[in-house]
Amino acid sequence: MIRRREVAKRVFAYELTRSTHVLQDENVKYALTPLGERVNRIFSVSVLLDKEEVRPDTNLWRIRLSDPTGVFYAYAGRFNSEAVEALLDLEPPVIVALVGKVRVFEGVTRKLVSVVPENLVEVESVVRDYWVLETAKTTLKRIEEMEKKEGEDVKLAWNIYNPNLEEYKSVVKQAVSLIREELEELEKEFEEEEEFEFEEEEWDLTELLED
Amino acid sequence: MDKVEEITQKILEKFERHGVKVNKNEIKKRVDLLLNEFKVPEGEIIRTITNYLIREHGLPREILFERESSLVKIAEITKPGVWVSVKAKVAQLWDTTSPNVSQVGLIGDETGMIKFVIWAKSGKGEVEEGKSYLFKNVVTDSFQGRMQINVNRFSSIVELEEDVPLPPREVSIVGALVSIQQGSGLIQRCGVCGRAMIKESCPEHGKVESYDDLRIKGVLDDGESVYEIILNEENVKSLTGIGLEEAKKIAQEKLDRGAVLSELKSRLLGRYFKVTGTKGGRYILVKEVDFYKPELKEFKLLGEAI
Repeated sequence: MIRRREVAKRVFAYELTRSTHVLQDENVKYALTPLGERVNRIFSVSVLLDKEEVRPDTNLWRIRLSDPTGVFYAYAGRFNSEAVEALLDLEPPVIVALVGKVRVFEGVTRKLVSVVPENLVEVESVVRDYWVLETAKTTLKRIEEMEKKEGEDVKLAWNIYNPNLEEYKSVVKQAVSLIREELEELEKEFEEEEEFEFEEEEWDLTELLED
Repeated sequence: MDKVEEITQKILEKFERHGVKVNKNEIKKRVDLLLNEFKVPEGEIIRTITNYLIREHGLPREILFERESSLVKIAEITKPGVWVSVKAKVAQLWDTTSPNVSQVGLIGDETGMIKFVIWAKSGKGEVEEGKSYLFKNVVTDSFQGRMQINVNRFSSIVELEEDVPLPPREVSIVGALVSIQQGSGLIQRCGVCGRAMIKESCPEHGKVESYDDLRIKGVLDDGESVYEIILNEENVKSLTGIGLEEAKKIAQEKLDRGAVLSELKSRLLGRYFKVTGTKGGRYILVKEVDFYKPELKEFKLLGEAI
């Protein structure tokens, strides 16, 4: 059987860190999110807040990442050499695009969700803006599916997590408005600059007329 | 119903479907012998007795293999060794060098394209380019990591009146570049055939004259599907300002060809792109590519929708 490359799902930290139930389909492991999405690989654009070596000289790094909805952890070790290399050059806080595999660990008191990075790159804020928009859209789509209560994974998610959909909606709304406000401010600054230039031109014109 | 009776029924049904009358008591005796005396597994019993009856009655051997293979779309073919039927149009016929192969080429429906092989032994008629057919009872197979279908002597090919559409050749996708694969960056191509060289050696011609080229083999992911894309020198230059000359300069300064790839990765990985191109087998050959940026109004619309 030809294994198709797993799609990188877009999931906010808020949903991701609550995805503690693991499903296995043939040889592929998935975390089931509270909104009924199967996640093996994710693509996230978040802020790298912190990086530290788990123990000195192990070359195993724990990094803390944040998107507008919450914080999650990723672990990069010698099997993710490219990600580790990229990590060494990064000085937090920076915006990064992260592609990686989702792992669920049995913690002492509860299950912990983390990510093993495949790729980690510093990116521009516009990439983050679009990621938030895209992730908001797909999250809303999942909420809709959950409302319909159809489909195996959706039913399973209801059984296991019994999520409060309103809570998820407000998380999405917050994330979107955060980015929107930032963009609106940028737009305003841009408009003001333009107006200023315009006045200058007008001034020149009157001078010409007086002559 | 005891085991003997059960197996006997299964065999009987097989032949009754073809309107062949066989002696039930005789079968039962044989089943009993094989099952209870010789402890043969059930599947083998059925096969052995069916074989015997076919010989005895001079029936076509197809009965043995006859099964209802379900009609599938090409995109659904992912596992080898499955009997399926597909409605598809012959898109291309390739030259065949093997005497064992009667015809080989590409067929497609609206969901995708797949290689097909008509084995000479199958004795099936020839297909024509541009015509649509029902390929009935063909077997899926995987060859060099890709799926194909095999037409064997138990298959049939029926020409269709309808015209099966092929997948749109030109595609347009917005997605994130989630991976840049091996064989990207400043590469060397074989001076004879132009193929990318691996470790300064052409897989076909060995260590020969080579020339430099710049390209990216990457994976574009829109959160629902993945697409493998190839960006050529022109594409890479329009996105990064790094063309072949600039790439060579970087490699010279850093004394490392790999430095070009690192630079391209840091500028392209994790970004969103809008890509237009044509699908040629596994890869999308990119015609136009640009960074994709959201507009403020998209956020406004979404904000209002929640």
